[in-house]
Amino acid sequence: MYIGVDVGGTFTDIAVNLGDGSNLILHKLPSTPDAPELAIIEGLENILKAHSLNAAEIVRLAHGTTVGTNAIIQRKCGKVALVTSVGFRDLLELARQTRPTVYDMHSDHPEPLVSRDLRVEVPQRRLADGTEHVPLDESAVARAAKRFANEKVDCVVVCFLHSYAFPDDENRAAEILRKLLPDATTVLTSSSVYPEFREYERFSTAVLNAALITVVGSYLDRLSHSTADLGISSEIKISQSSGGLMSVRMAKEFPVRASLSGPAAGVQGALHRALTAGVENIITLDVGGTSADVALLEHGMPKEVSARDLAGYPVRIPSLDVNAVGAGGGSIAWIDRDGLLKVGPHSAGAVPGPVCYNLGGTEATVTDANVMLGRLNGKALLSGRMPINRDLSVEAITELARNLGVTPEEAAFGIIQIACATMVKAIRSISVERGYAPSDFSLFVYGGAGALHAVDVARELGIPRIIVPPSPGILCAEGAMNAPLSIEFVSTILCALSADEIATFHKARTELETRVQNWFSSEQVPQSQQRTVWSVGARYFGQNYELTLPIDASASDRHLLSDIEVAFHRAHEKNYGFSAESEPIQLVNLSVKALGELERPDLPLLPKTPVPEPIELRDTLFSSIERHSTPVYLRETLVAGQELVGPAIVEQLDTTVIIFPGDKGAIDDWGNITINVERSIQ
Amino acid sequence: MTMSPIEAELLRNSLASICDEMYIALMKSSYSTNIKERKDHSTALFDADGRVVVQGESMPLHLASMLGLVEVVLEKYGKEGLKEGDMFLSNDPYVGRGSHLPDVAIAAPIFKDGELVMFACNIAHHADIGGMSPGSMAGGMTEIFQEGLRIPPIRLFDAGEFKRDVMDLILLNVRVPEERIGDYNAQIASNKLGLRRCDALIERWGKDRIAEGCDAIIGAVAKRTRAAISDLEDGVYTFEDVVDDDGLSRKNIKICVKITVAGDKIEFNFDGTEPQVEGNNNVTMAGLQASCLYCLKVLLDPDCPQNHGMLDPVTINAPLGSIVNAAFPAASAARAQTGQRIVDVVLGALAPAYPDKVVAAGNGANTSAAFFGQGANGKFYVYLETLGGGAGARSYKDGSDGVQVHMTNTSNLPIEALETEYPLIIERYELVEDSGGAGKHRGGLGIRRDYRPIGHSTTFSGQGERFVNQPWGLFGGGPASTGRFAIIDDNGTTTRLANKPSTHKISPEAVISVITAGGGGFGVPGERSISDLERDHESGKFSDEFLTEHYKQWRNYSAHAKTGT
Repeated sequence: MYIGVDVGGTFTDIAVNLGDGSNLILHKLPSTPDAPELAIIEGLENILKAHSLNAAEIVRLAHGTTVGTNAIIQRKCGKVALVTSVGFRDLLELARQTRPTVYDMHSDHPEPLVSRDLRVEVPQRRLADGTEHVPLDESAVARAAKRFANEKVDCVVVCFLHSYAFPDDENRAAEILRKLLPDATTVLTSSSVYPEFREYERFSTAVLNAALITVVGSYLDRLSHSTADLGISSEIKISQSSGGLMSVRMAKEFPVRASLSGPAAGVQGALHRALTAGVENIITLDVGGTSADVALLEHGMPKEVSARDLAGYPVRIPSLDVNAVGAGGGSIAWIDRDGLLKVGPHSAGAVPGPVCYNLGGTEATVTDANVMLGRLNGKALLSGRMPINRDLSVEAITELARNLGVTPEEAAFGIIQIACATMVKAIRSISVERGYAPSDFSLFVYGGAGALHAVDVARELGIPRIIVPPSPGILCAEGAMNAPLSIEFVSTILCALSADEIATFHKARTELETRVQNWFSSEQVPQSQQRTVWSVGARYFGQNYELTLPIDASASDRHLLSDIEVAFHRAHEKNYGFSAESEPIQLVNLSVKALGELERPDLPLLPKTPVPEPIELRDTLFSSIERHSTPVYLRETLVAGQELVGPAIVEQLDTTVIIFPGDKGAIDDWGNITINVERSIQ
Repeated sequence: MTMSPIEAELLRNSLASICDEMYIALMKSSYSTNIKERKDHSTALFDADGRVVVQGESMPLHLASMLGLVEVVLEKYGKEGLKEGDMFLSNDPYVGRGSHLPDVAIAAPIFKDGELVMFACNIAHHADIGGMSPGSMAGGMTEIFQEGLRIPPIRLFDAGEFKRDVMDLILLNVRVPEERIGDYNAQIASNKLGLRRCDALIERWGKDRIAEGCDAIIGAVAKRTRAAISDLEDGVYTFEDVVDDDGLSRKNIKICVKITVAGDKIEFNFDGTEPQVEGNNNVTMAGLQASCLYCLKVLLDPDCPQNHGMLDPVTINAPLGSIVNAAFPAASAARAQTGQRIVDVVLGALAPAYPDKVVAAGNGANTSAAFFGQGANGKFYVYLETLGGGAGARSYKDGSDGVQVHMTNTSNLPIEALETEYPLIIERYELVEDSGGAGKHRGGLGIRRDYRPIGHSTTFSGQGERFVNQPWGLFGGGPASTGRFAIIDDNGTTTRLANKPSTHKISPEAVISVITAGGGGFGVPGERSISDLERDHESGKFSDEFLTEHYKQWRNYSAHAKTGT
């Protein structure tokens, strides 16, 4: 039995695969934000009881959590102190000395997570080449330790310049601090959290990690104890921002790695579903109530970035390149000061929600537009649990239309078009703008409102095929369950791409290999399940941004050099529209991603049942003038091999799927609906 | 037929997306630190009449340089003189309506079926454009000919053919040409990208719909700008302030503004402003327009998209030959310094009309430090950076410490990147204690940054402002402390430099220490809460002496604390 758990702000989702080919067991219950483990335990108990299952048979419990993210947002995190070189205590506060937006004199960056009086300076300074400019004053470090002990800090971070390449001083200072501070105080160094150059981002990442250690640590301890009490003997695995899993031990040491894991688990779930169905190039589109998240996966590999933001603080951890924009079902339509129609980023949320919920909402939302056009059920949503008042939607949109000087149908259609334009823009920025043609990809949609807008988005981008998984609302929990263990190590090398300096590359590679092997053994990954993926960050000398290129680390020097050179010029051309073949190339870093494949149950197949009839015919608008009487099907009755010719609508608890006139939908063996988008852009 | 508000929004969204893509491509592939790290570049799309339709995220000072660029190309060549595949290059503040020479603009007309439909353009600040001094920004120059190569609007591509001769001429005149060619390549590629994307968009919408859409998008911005001005109370608002000096002969150079708000129109009149200076901190009309538009945007409508429509209800008058509307051949490399002061006078004037929105004076400068030398490895380098300082306090909260204000928002270069690329060490980078003005809400703190050359002597040039005249507070708030440049020898002697020093030798046995001004306070100091004062004290940002001097409530509080009552 394999279990995936995703704890979101509103709901805790649990997916269970018994591994015997039977349907997944899905369970959704309200989250308990103050103690997230309570909802998890309650949900697990419910499932075990309802299906008469034995907790001891659980092979793996994988868990995505937002505990860390919430702690930072609410600033309910540990008390952190910082040791740095003389002259640099304000570095964390000066950040990049910019204001968040050029034209807003009222927005500020959040205050640093370490208060200024707990940022202590000690004499120490190394230069870029490792030269000792000022030797480390060990007695000053000892004095700092004394202060921190009095202040009862939870965690101390040592942050010195150039430690990405020369970590000795950081390590020595940490050693002194550990000796003098109580065991309960964690001491860590900026280079141990993420040894990349660019000091502010490195320090910020280390401080975030430090701030999370106590809160995430105690949460994981509570969770481990409660699951043990439930009779679960297998170890819990935690989702990371990179989509892979890590052990609880790793998560307690590097909690920051879990901080952006929510969307990553969804992408991981999409990847597993798509690969099972034999599709390896996908663009994911996850549309919820407030936002749309998009990602691109080429040859079954998601793209990663290291530069992200957590509640306004930069964080450098390997993360899936998920682009989020403010367009979802609850996004509010409004008329801007210039008279143009805008949709989002404000959302009506779950309460009051869209006007049609009749819970007090008065501003038309994307959901209201879909209800008015007949794309969403005009009587009830969530399989009848949420009653809908279509008249209220029509009223609100008619009012908006009057102010815009268009027909209500045009206004409703416009709301959807503008929301979709925002999603299209998000997808363009991770595909077209990085040199990928969307027509080479399938659009994999999930989240409550993804399948409603998939066709509009796909058509706009020239994407020929859409895939809707069987349970789009619970894909994050499913994704956590099916992810591999993973970790990334990186080393800044800053050397020329030439035979003269290749030794620097080899030195870093040897070090990284050792770290990878140590990780494989500490995580007990058997040899046959071990996999490594190497890449370099490269740029032309004098540039500031590097492009990441996958490499064959075991190739001979001659091949390595020429392969990187060719690949870099090509990537530069692809990304920026030109390359400079005569210019020398600089290698900025070498990184390795290590994967430990875990045993994974097969995804269940659809049972054989009779081909269903539609439950009703609904009057639906497919543009502001194109109207069809459209058959509506229930998702759970669809059978493998069935074909749905548009216009058609498929309803299920957690989403509604629209198949446009002229398009065709097909149900595959695993229950995915694949829609072939036929009509070209108008 | 006019375009519906829905279609206009969809088209605007598509055009903005193209602009953003051009912007990021240019930033990521360039070589000049000004572009790649400090984002001193902008991109825009124009309609066939040379009006800006959408402008990407951009430097405030580029607002107006963009407005003038294509107009000049059209005036010089006429629509009929443009060919498919042309690209034009320009940087001159006088004949090209730019704002200073290092900002090189490149514009590409876009055709459909032989008809001119749009232009794609970008502007980027190059690390060097030739002239007397490395980096083309140093003080001490008295006319534009000394500041660098002047380029009028000329063809860089002629019907698709690259004019190598033109590029050869430019590269011969600039320092470190092998890097500059990379910047030109990045700019050309960014425009070509814009061309490709616009081609596809025009194909889809049709050229006539695009023209209608551009009208609608510009009209919408004009409409919202007028609406925002209508919200201001009608009246006449005045203010004056001074620029410290021009680095040569003139000191305390006065800038005056009289702003008249009448209905949905606003007029800025700078009569009474002193004549242009011999130094290089003159602002040309493009810079003046940009500074006024910036103020309107931050005060009235920060989310307003930028295009030609913003100018519609705005009139700007300034005496030709004054420091805010300089005439040929005034030097203008450091126009940002004076641009900051224009913002100060406009915000100061409008403070009574908008007390909740305005902020007290910030560090009011674009403090810059430029280094030129030959490292121990024999390689020459030119390095320029700018520093922020304190921001002015607001009606309801303190000013930010150590940030860029108003016309500039360039980020710093990471110390680890700087020390890897240049033979320089940063020995301090910190906030300056006690530098923010006192007030119910205090001003932000200035920045100190100390540099030392390694193994060689470096040549330092700098630009400082608010080094003499303190940034003011508002509604009873106190002024902030000023900045300075100083050389601190290892033997302990400190020598203060001029406010706009040129070519000072710094030996490896000394540091050049730059301190920038803080921000002014807002509201009377007596109303500051004890808990805020405790935080000022505990954080070490303000000394007990400063708090005791400026806040009587602190005197009482600390007296009680000391006696334990």
